[in-house]
Amino acid sequence: MTLKTPEKSTRRYGKAEGTDYQSPEVWSKVTGKAVYGIDHAMPGMLHGKILRSPYPHARIKKVDTTAAEALPGVRAVLTGTELESKPFGIAVEDELPLAVDKVRYIGDEVAAVAAVDLQTAERAIKAIKVEYEELPAVYDPAEALQEGAPQLHDNFPGNVAWERELERGSSSAAFAGADVVVEESFTIPAIHPAYLEPISCIAVDDPYTGITLHTALQSPDAVRKIVAGALNYPLSKVHVNGPVMGGGFGGRVYGNLKVYILSAMLAIKSGRPVKIQLTREEEFTAGRPMIAAAIKMKMAVKSDGTILGREADIITDNGAYSGQAPWVSKTLSERNDSVYRIPGIKTRVRLAYTNKIPTGQYRAYGNQVANFATESLIDMAAKKLGLDPLEMRLKNCVREGDITVHGLQVGKCGLSECLQAAAREIGWDHKKAGHGYGLSVAIHANGSLVFDKNFRGASALARLELDGRITLFTGEQDYGQGTHGAFAQIAAKALDVRPAQITVESKETKTAPFSTGALAMRQTTVGGKAIQLAAEDLREKIFKAAAELTGEPVTMKNSVLNTMSGRTLELGEIAYHYHNNTSGLNLTGEGKFVPEESDYDESGYGNISVAYSFAAHAVELELDKTTGAITVNRLVAAHDSGRIVNHLTARGQVYGGVAQGIGMSCFEGCLFDEGRMANATLADYKIPTALDLPEIDPLFIEIEDPVGPYGSKGLGEIVMVPVIGAVANAAADAAGVRITDLPLTAEKIYQAMAGWECEQ
Amino acid sequence: MNNLKKQVLIFQLNGEPVEIFADPAESLLTVLREKLGLYGTKAGCGKGECGACTVLLDDRAVNSCLVPAGKVQGRKVETIENLSQGGKVHMIQEEFVEKGAVQCGFCSPGMVMSAYALLKENPQPNPEQVKVAISGNLCRCSGYKQIEEAILSAAERLKN
Amino acid sequence: MSYLIASSLDEVLTSLRDGSGKARVVAGGTDLYLQDLPYGLVDLSCLKGTTVIEQEDDLISLGSAVTHTAAASSPLVLSRARALAEGCEVIGSPQIRNIGTIGGNVVNAAPAADAAVALVGLGAEAVIIDIEGNIRQEAVENLYWEYNRSLIDSTREVMISLQFKPCMDGEGSAFTRFAARRALALPMVNAAARVKLENGLVKEIRLVAAPVNPAPTRLVKTEELVIGKPVNDQTISMVERSAAEEVEVRGSLLRCSARYRLHLVGVLVSRALKTAAERAMGQGKAGE
Repeated sequence: MTLKTPEKSTRRYGKAEGTDYQSPEVWSKVTGKAVYGIDHAMPGMLHGKILRSPYPHARIKKVDTTAAEALPGVRAVLTGTELESKPFGIAVEDELPLAVDKVRYIGDEVAAVAAVDLQTAERAIKAIKVEYEELPAVYDPAEALQEGAPQLHDNFPGNVAWERELERGSSSAAFAGADVVVEESFTIPAIHPAYLEPISCIAVDDPYTGITLHTALQSPDAVRKIVAGALNYPLSKVHVNGPVMGGGFGGRVYGNLKVYILSAMLAIKSGRPVKIQLTREEEFTAGRPMIAAAIKMKMAVKSDGTILGREADIITDNGAYSGQAPWVSKTLSERNDSVYRIPGIKTRVRLAYTNKIPTGQYRAYGNQVANFATESLIDMAAKKLGLDPLEMRLKNCVREGDITVHGLQVGKCGLSECLQAAAREIGWDHKKAGHGYGLSVAIHANGSLVFDKNFRGASALARLELDGRITLFTGEQDYGQGTHGAFAQIAAKALDVRPAQITVESKETKTAPFSTGALAMRQTTVGGKAIQLAAEDLREKIFKAAAELTGEPVTMKNSVLNTMSGRTLELGEIAYHYHNNTSGLNLTGEGKFVPEESDYDESGYGNISVAYSFAAHAVELELDKTTGAITVNRLVAAHDSGRIVNHLTARGQVYGGVAQGIGMSCFEGCLFDEGRMANATLADYKIPTALDLPEIDPLFIEIEDPVGPYGSKGLGEIVMVPVIGAVANAAADAAGVRITDLPLTAEKIYQAMAGWECEQ
Repeated sequence: MNNLKKQVLIFQLNGEPVEIFADPAESLLTVLREKLGLYGTKAGCGKGECGACTVLLDDRAVNSCLVPAGKVQGRKVETIENLSQGGKVHMIQEEFVEKGAVQCGFCSPGMVMSAYALLKENPQPNPEQVKVAISGNLCRCSGYKQIEEAILSAAERLKN
Repeated sequence: MSYLIASSLDEVLTSLRDGSGKARVVAGGTDLYLQDLPYGLVDLSCLKGTTVIEQEDDLISLGSAVTHTAAASSPLVLSRARALAEGCEVIGSPQIRNIGTIGGNVVNAAPAADAAVALVGLGAEAVIIDIEGNIRQEAVENLYWEYNRSLIDSTREVMISLQFKPCMDGEGSAFTRFAARRALALPMVNAAARVKLENGLVKEIRLVAAPVNPAPTRLVKTEELVIGKPVNDQTISMVERSAAEEVEVRGSLLRCSARYRLHLVGVLVSRALKTAAERAMGQGKAGE
């Protein structure tokens, strides 16, 4: 089909004037001066180490710590029985700080020690004697759900951690009236965020202030609450003070709770600061990857390509403890239904406990997992109907004003423009012979209205300093994605000052406003809106104070206040004036963004977010038919994230998110051998190197959204979602066969082309 | 051969001679960070698999986590700290900032050192040579594109 | 532990003698921390002769402490032993290639070490001296005891150099590998070929694949099939079939299944042969 030029402007290498501002923090990073968790130490600090289970499933008969405690230099030893803790958890309370009666995965935390140095701590760990009685284990989630499977938790019979059955519209009518039905089973392994800096935490117990955790978190307030609960401390006695964060990608929203809780408990017991630093191996074997999934999905389609309905039966692999897996499973099982106009859906999703690594979350929260299944089916249907995959997507994709099958209220929506732009840019109309082409689309929420129905927004403070500079206090964390730079730009625009006059503070929970965290792609839209409101409030307060001082109305331009009579005032003068008149206060603007309550009902129907971002990716790749190896040559990433605040960092988000998508499509996944992670190194858990990535072309379809600050929407998570489907579709286009098991390795593609039975 | 666990190591570090008493079996990374207080060199894996600990040994990029300290005896070591001494910043670092090549920043010191080693040896690399030069430095944030832009841009500046 | 940067071969041998089995030789040391550390290490990477790449008479000699970077960029290696340059330039990462050595690549005895596979493809022999001063010469493929274990005892033997005949007119060599990622990845299979053509027909040939056995493995049967034939499409597909039939391989969860690995052996060996033959036919300069 012919491609229309989108009406909105697209910008390829946007170096728009004034929008490439970078927060000065980058200078300390690039010179090696930034202090990360691994670099951090405290006077008198002890080193903590965790003893982990060597068995996937075993009863603990006895833990003998006598020899460890007798070692010179050992200051504290903890075991599960002495702690008498109550279970804690994120979505489900199913974890204890240390195992008491049973261990449930290889790596399960059994005991912890603190000693004067790491070597002593390691020796002490080895000196602890544990008697285990091995129990039968289960690794496959489908097997775990069968009757007679070994049970992991007494209070979760049948190993069901969470489940949901859902029907909206009439899916049976859809399938009855379908011209074509496509159906396939897809499997996706557990994916590790693989942030480059391993997690560490220094816990300090102070009789006056309480516990302070020096650890970098995307969601310090959420972690603080769980840790306070586990320690039985009042919330105001638990603080987080974050060093610079070496990558997060969802993995540091809750991070590794055991590390925080155990370092705190060791600090309390020893009376000294305690640092626990995970090794890279521990990151993999006791970290928190995103759940693996098996998705059986079918789609009912009319002969003209109209989607009538879709059904899915999904099993997700929780591992030994739940983390956020129920929430990830929920998102995974429904969000992709809202990127198309689907009248009827039916879904069953079951989250199963297995004797493997507990799971957590990863950038895009399972949306990219489902994208693999949904977008594969679209291409399968198009092929069966002899339709152009682009045309089929354009026919069905959601548009402004739609209410989707799950009740999402689609506001500004540039999805079809994204599709057109991506297809045009990749050369959809003049494909190179022998190359594979694929498309994929995505929708992504900008923060959640329903995660906590009572807490839907964000707040911020903007304080005028005595020297005329401005400090923004926010709970939104920046670990390189550019949030703080963008916040400075937003506030600068509201105040008409330069971004460089603004400092953003977020790392200490003692002073930062509460935040849900750097998650759900909420920071720019929700957190940024609070910043805009705080800056606007400060501006009004500045005007008021200036008017009081001068006795006449004022305006502000380029950081300078002008009165009607022509007098000019520096911001610092106003700050001092207010400071003196209030005996020491600073002019402070408050920003409260409180989105309206959602119509979200008990069944989970309703609007879940203040805004939605959209994306379409197009891939062009080559296939070596002799080996099955694919080389992704080019990926065009067209995004409607509203008005882009900062093109430099937005491009960085696209490049990085696409790279993670390529990794997940082609290389990554936790491999297990009898419950043991077999590829627990960065050599064998293969994230892409500079040589493994295609040319990536970001395209921004800048349709202003009325909700977020100055028309902007979120970008950081949706960037990786469509990659998986687009690569899978392009690979299927080139190979003539479809791989339904991630990653798309050369071996799988070759096997499928050669018609081999699956082995290994 | 002797029975001492530690020995005196003398080498050039960031343009100055240093003399330390250390276990030669310890990695150069451990010595730099824990003995010499140079925390700019990062530790991401301890196995030569991520490149965060990249330093220059006799002008060549190496994984300091894989180099036994004993090996640097009499040789020349350069770390990230050497690139921004006296309040000045190396132009490679300027380009990294200019091009948006720094996100979480954890790989940045190692990445900058790999770029520095490349441009020392080959001041006019082509894009493929840049990719190869940083192929031992993992970055999870950036997709490498803006890092590559920064290095090519630094090379361009070297020309003038 | 003690660490000695030896300044002469005598010093190396004396130190090993004094260490009475508790001290051993180290070159690049990139695999050092994967093992238990010995009581003493004798570093030979700064010895005068061990980093030399030279041609004398009709032999190319590389010191055992020549780094992968040095081998991959040496004009002599590039023009007369291209397979070795190709093998060395894909090992690990630039950082590892800058310090890892070709001697270490052999003595470390990993079954699919890229430099070692290329060396066996070229027909290289190692020159080894023991603490008593006895010198012996051994084909590289004969230096393997078992997986990841060399027959060279680093507590009493030192590999000094690796030697092989340069590829002259009518000769060519090539190395190929297949891995999941383009850097920082061990290969699923690697292969090397060296071929000498006379009047367009194969006169001499060496075909090597790994990991097949503990040592890089010559495909003797396939080599025999090719002798006297032109390297055309028919021969190439025959080599692909024969190579995969000649060997047995193991599968692994981390790399690939045995069946796929076998398929790759055929593909990579035939690709190596094709490139080596193109080079032998003078597509390029003399030699390669």
